[in-house]
Amino acid sequence: METLVNVPADTQSSLERVVSYLKGEHPQRVACFPLILNHAARVLGVPVGVYNRDGDVMGRAHVATWRRYGNDLVTIFSTTSTLAEAMGTKMKFFDEDAPQIDEFLLQDGYDFSRINMPDPEKDGRLPVYLTALEHCVKEVGSEVVVSVVLGGPFTTAAALRPLDLMTRELYKDKAKVHELLELTTEANLRFIDAIMERGGLPIIVEPIGSASLVSPAHFTEFVAPYLKRVSDHLHAKGAPLAALHICGKTKPNWKAMLATDFDLWSLDAVDLAEAKEAVGDRVVLLGNVVPANMLKNTAEQIDEEAKGICVKTLDSPHGFILGSGCEVPINTPFENVDALIMAARKYGRYDGHNVA
Amino acid sequence: MPRSTEEILADLARGVLDLDEDLAVAAAHEAVDAGMDAYEAITKGLVVGMNEAGRLYDEEEYFVPELLICSDAMYAALDVLRPHLKVADQGVKIGCVIGVVKGDTHDIGKNLVKIMLDVAGFEVHDLGRDVPLADFIEKAKETNSQLICLSTLMTTTMDGMAAIIQMLDEEGIRDRFKVMIGGGPISRSFAEKIGADGYADNASSAVRVATELFATAAA
Repeated sequence: METLVNVPADTQSSLERVVSYLKGEHPQRVACFPLILNHAARVLGVPVGVYNRDGDVMGRAHVATWRRYGNDLVTIFSTTSTLAEAMGTKMKFFDEDAPQIDEFLLQDGYDFSRINMPDPEKDGRLPVYLTALEHCVKEVGSEVVVSVVLGGPFTTAAALRPLDLMTRELYKDKAKVHELLELTTEANLRFIDAIMERGGLPIIVEPIGSASLVSPAHFTEFVAPYLKRVSDHLHAKGAPLAALHICGKTKPNWKAMLATDFDLWSLDAVDLAEAKEAVGDRVVLLGNVVPANMLKNTAEQIDEEAKGICVKTLDSPHGFILGSGCEVPINTPFENVDALIMAARKYGRYDGHNVA
Repeated sequence: MPRSTEEILADLARGVLDLDEDLAVAAAHEAVDAGMDAYEAITKGLVVGMNEAGRLYDEEEYFVPELLICSDAMYAALDVLRPHLKVADQGVKIGCVIGVVKGDTHDIGKNLVKIMLDVAGFEVHDLGRDVPLADFIEKAKETNSQLICLSTLMTTTMDGMAAIIQMLDEEGIRDRFKVMIGGGPISRSFAEKIGADGYADNASSAVRVATELFATAAA
């Protein structure tokens, strides 16, 4: 990589940078949110399977991550199924990978009596997340926003009822799906409250609402109304912003997504130039270096890719944050994360410095 | 008055395409009762509807739920027609082994590819999900398959695909198989890098790619 003497030092902290967006002002340079989730275990040098079951380790991993990289958002997370796990779905754990679903709670049908409405203080691994959150807020909360990432109502529902069955029931048993979504929405709100009480920012991920899976019509009927309740709740509780991440393709659903009133969209397999046109001044856009490229490409290639994204998205009317399209893969080389953040410092300048 | 063959075929196709299992099954019974050729009812009725559904999926008019319900309708009607197939109609199909590589349990994409390959006339052997790498090769040898389809949604497991190709190389049997890969993190450049023969980014293009692979091989 070329010499970095021309890149000005950051004089804003991560927190100040993010606060600029909230005030509707440009920061010195774009913020960078690589979605570092399970990769945090690598930074601390602990097995992923320890990271995701021990709140203290999870918290220390994210503090170490922030100190190592200077990412502008701490993102506490292990899987999109964690809320469903607290409601009764069984997970399978691995030493060196994120947990996966082992047994769906509602494999055999919609027996709602089996669902546990979670108490975030004690059910499943929600306390692991909350312990990690407390640790991060205490250690670095004055310098960076600490977020907890949770599966949204539709995604949580699909972790209770197998997706291939549930997607058919969007046609064949709508009432049951809606009843389930009522419960997963309630679970969302409970966890959100516990996160906010501790000074964390809840971030909602709704990958199962991706347009790779559901149509705009189904998004409007089964995903959007519940997301809207979540964003309303976030706003009512005083969250500085409501943030939504949806992986994969989302373009067909953008119009329906706008109706959910989220203030920040983290997008994956889309062209942010098109997204910028679609959302206008309503949404801050976050994205979207290809996650597999974070793992497989060189730092020079990450720099090049991030530059292209910055060039076309920097003038997004409501703001732009550079990041990865989805989770930074666990075994991503550290220098690739460094390259992504350095790209924000080089190509994301709002203070008149012409680095590129 | 009995309906024409064309009308029955149209209903078979429409039942599949319009997510109308009752219509597809009723048309299948009607075809049997009218003494229609079962093979023709499948290929000129059900398959036409499923291919059209695949096209709509490609164009983002249909999504996963629609494609799954179309395939439910197709298989329900197929159950009615299959007992009436003449043995000679089965023909020789190209065998295909498909599965989600070890370490990953997400299989909805793989299931869609399996359905579309089935419709396209491949003999599909589904190994399911979280499949040990060596099992793909064992099953391909055992079934005399020529196509190996590998799927993953996760970045943690994509290297398993390269490992399978390497295992084929080491056994000296790489040229007996075409390897096609796909899934969320997979790209054309990754496919080329690991030496896969084909890459597809959705279920409908998977069939196109697979068909082309064997058209090229035959030429």
